[in-house]
Amino acid sequence: MLSPKKVKHRKVMKGRSRGAAYRGSSLAFGDYGLKAMQVGNMTARQIEAARITISRTMKRAGKMWIKVFPDKPMTKKPAEVRMGKGKGSPEFWVAKIKPGRILYEVTGVDEETARKALKLAGDKLPFATKVISKKETL
Amino acid sequence: MIQLDVTSQPRNTTGKGAARTLRRAGRTPAVLYGLNIEAMSLSIDTHSFTHSVLGLQRRNAVVNLTVEGGDTYQVFIKEMQVDPIHDTLKHADFYQIDAEKEYEFSVPLKYTGQAKGVFLGGELQIAQTKVKVKAKPMLVPDAIEIDLKNLAQGESISCEQLVLADGVNVLNPAKLILVSVV
Repeated sequence: MLSPKKVKHRKVMKGRSRGAAYRGSSLAFGDYGLKAMQVGNMTARQIEAARITISRTMKRAGKMWIKVFPDKPMTKKPAEVRMGKGKGSPEFWVAKIKPGRILYEVTGVDEETARKALKLAGDKLPFATKVISKKETL
Repeated sequence: MIQLDVTSQPRNTTGKGAARTLRRAGRTPAVLYGLNIEAMSLSIDTHSFTHSVLGLQRRNAVVNLTVEGGDTYQVFIKEMQVDPIHDTLKHADFYQIDAEKEYEFSVPLKYTGQAKGVFLGGELQIAQTKVKVKAKPMLVPDAIEIDLKNLAQGESISCEQLVLADGVNVLNPAKLILVSVV
């Protein structure tokens, strides 16, 4: 799973997401891509699960780019612990996703396979996504 | 170079409220500017312009922009603002050009044929997919075709070997390798 090698601060504040993703909102490498349509968190596990789905559907042909990285630590308190006594310990990593963000890009496979792979990957994520292609975007 | 005909209407209203009203009516705000003309606010039909631009497939093009009740200008699409979520056109910038002046363009390279070095077990390595050229807009090719048929193992094609029309100059270093068989 993806995670940062080292971080400046072990724990960070939760924060709020506003607006759309202007950076990383157009296809940079591939011919087809998966675009987020809603705000959400994408955990390192979800990134890996979607990557495996794309890789298996494309039968390891073509090329794939993962355009997001889980750089935000999320903390959790242990079970049956009363509130207070400080913030919990870091448990997993997430990538903050804004609508418009390209999550994966693929190339080197036919359109039908690329769309099928990206749709199956999108079905694994906790927010709405859509498949876009280079020839249909400005 | 490909030419595109676009019709536009002059626009008197400005600001985000007016722009949103315009977009709801199926038109896109645009602006025209250049060296010898004063900046002009325009509006274009969103559907037909988007369709034309998608047909270009990111190739270089000269747009013949007709302003209703005015002149026709030769322009480049300088910038297009696109909605990051819905991928719809929000605004377009047109830059008036002088057809007799040289401009810089990025031209895609199109590799054709099977290199003979690949038949003998070599591996084709494509290093560049586009080159920068300086030329008058009408002289710029849509793509530069490179025939790989005679490329043997251990050989390469560099910028200086490109065959281009008179008046088209490559700006990349002459020794820059475009493709090779290793």
